[in-house]
Amino acid sequence: MGYIKKIQNMLTGGEITCVEFTKKYLEAIKTDNKELNAYVTVTEEEALATAQKVDEKIARGEELLPLEGVPMTLKDNISTKGIETTCCSKILSGYKPIYNATVWDILKNQNAVLLGKTNMDEFAMGSSCETSCFGGAMNPHNTCYVSGGSSGGVASAVAGDIAVFGLGSDTGGSIRQPASFCGIVGLKPTYGAVSRYGLVAYASSLDQIGPITKTVEDTAIVFDNISVYDKKDSTSCNKNISPTVDTLNKDIKGKKIGIAREYLDGVRDDVKESILAAAEKYKELGAEIVYFDLPALKFALPVYYILACAEASSNLGRYDGIRYGYKTEHYEGTHDMICRTRSEGFGDEVKRRILLGTYVLSAGYYDAYYKKAQNLRGTIIKAFEDAFENVDVILAPTVPMTAFEKGKATSDPVETYLTDICTVPINIAGLPSVSIPCGFNSNGMPIGMQIIGKKFDEATILNVAYKYEQVCPENFKDTKWGVKL
Amino acid sequence: MITREDVENIALLSKLFVPEEEMDSLTESMQEIVRFADTINNADTEGVEFDNINNLSNVLREDEVKPSYPSEEILKNAPEQAEEHFLVRKHA
Repeated sequence: MGYIKKIQNMLTGGEITCVEFTKKYLEAIKTDNKELNAYVTVTEEEALATAQKVDEKIARGEELLPLEGVPMTLKDNISTKGIETTCCSKILSGYKPIYNATVWDILKNQNAVLLGKTNMDEFAMGSSCETSCFGGAMNPHNTCYVSGGSSGGVASAVAGDIAVFGLGSDTGGSIRQPASFCGIVGLKPTYGAVSRYGLVAYASSLDQIGPITKTVEDTAIVFDNISVYDKKDSTSCNKNISPTVDTLNKDIKGKKIGIAREYLDGVRDDVKESILAAAEKYKELGAEIVYFDLPALKFALPVYYILACAEASSNLGRYDGIRYGYKTEHYEGTHDMICRTRSEGFGDEVKRRILLGTYVLSAGYYDAYYKKAQNLRGTIIKAFEDAFENVDVILAPTVPMTAFEKGKATSDPVETYLTDICTVPINIAGLPSVSIPCGFNSNGMPIGMQIIGKKFDEATILNVAYKYEQVCPENFKDTKWGVKL
Repeated sequence: MITREDVENIALLSKLFVPEEEMDSLTESMQEIVRFADTINNADTEGVEFDNINNLSNVLREDEVKPSYPSEEILKNAPEQAEEHFLVRKHA
């Protein structure tokens, strides 16, 4: 059983009150967050007030909503009314949104218990959580290693049992990569399946909100509840997606699982072995493994960085020190004020991406970079569509390696970008993909694999993921931190 | 090849100041990133177009009057404000 159902059974069975249970988490945050650095804001009052409401509801004998009373967290780029939302950037310090992101409205209406906001790479730009202005969140499996990025704080909190679940955002792997590094489950839904309203924009055509949890069932429950059409997001799709939780245990006999050969190139040996071992497990479960070629993948990484940076340079134009956040102290005139505010407020990686984005959109370079990358995006989408003519899902590594040691990720930008090679094609194509743990390396650090599906077919990838979890529970390992149920 | 002058120009367009002492290292790292972006140059995209991810078209709605967020709430986030306005000081 997943943790969400287990906790709700504990609450309704009178084993513990929601207030007591929430206090356990708040206590654990006080001690464990010193080392994990997962939370950047703790919302104790909000959490206890919600828990109180849940207890009153239970006392009245009312049935609980699917996420009611469950302690959770949100990445710090998801807008929370009256609660600081900084994207872990100096430029948004002190910013308290005046409205809620739609996903938070949904969870709040269900009385999910918000414990706080979690750490991330500044504006979700990074692969180690270390570009955060608060310093990085650490890996609960070994705190000498990074949690991954950009949703590193959510992954660290969930793997460290100081939150039951969390919502992150994934623009090029930012949910799946930290989930992989921390040995837990992370789902990047189909583009348009979850409302982005209130998600502070990085690259709007690639951004997507999704759950990070410890079990596949929990991911399915959270996804089913947040994938709702929202008229406030004009890219939100009005599709009736049937609940994924109902089909988790469906037989996968005869399912065709594809492995793109390109996805295994350049992947470290221990990661490759784990993926191939998982493929063997799937054969034992009656699935068929189909190898195929996906040559278009070789352009995915530069295409991603061109498009993401172009969109970021436009989205981040709004930070001018006038309406919210940080403003420089001494300036001479408006242009000087804006330049100083931005130069002092943004970190190096954000500046690099704004500059690259501005470059590829500027006169004389637009066709060679932006337009060309857009066309290649079409090529990559087509390549995946063709692949899905022959397979039901695609199995791939999440990251070509395991978590890096603290401080080892940020030296060379291009080398760091290469860690995203397995995750970015999914955002480019707008597909759903779930990362689940599939082993450990010789240092005991988790290895993750992705199960990638057709658009709006979250049900199948979660079904395939769940079946693996049933036969390989040893890969879903607890850490020494936090609250144990 | 992206030059130091290019970097100065795009920094200006991006409204970012780059300190003189960081200019060389920034140019170098931009050159590396652009070299990496250049790998798409020889890709064949003949006849391929891309518009948007889910074949969406414009989403229209009725133009209904709805209450706006109260300006005092919005202004609470402003670093400087005066008389219900955002404040930007005049150049002395």
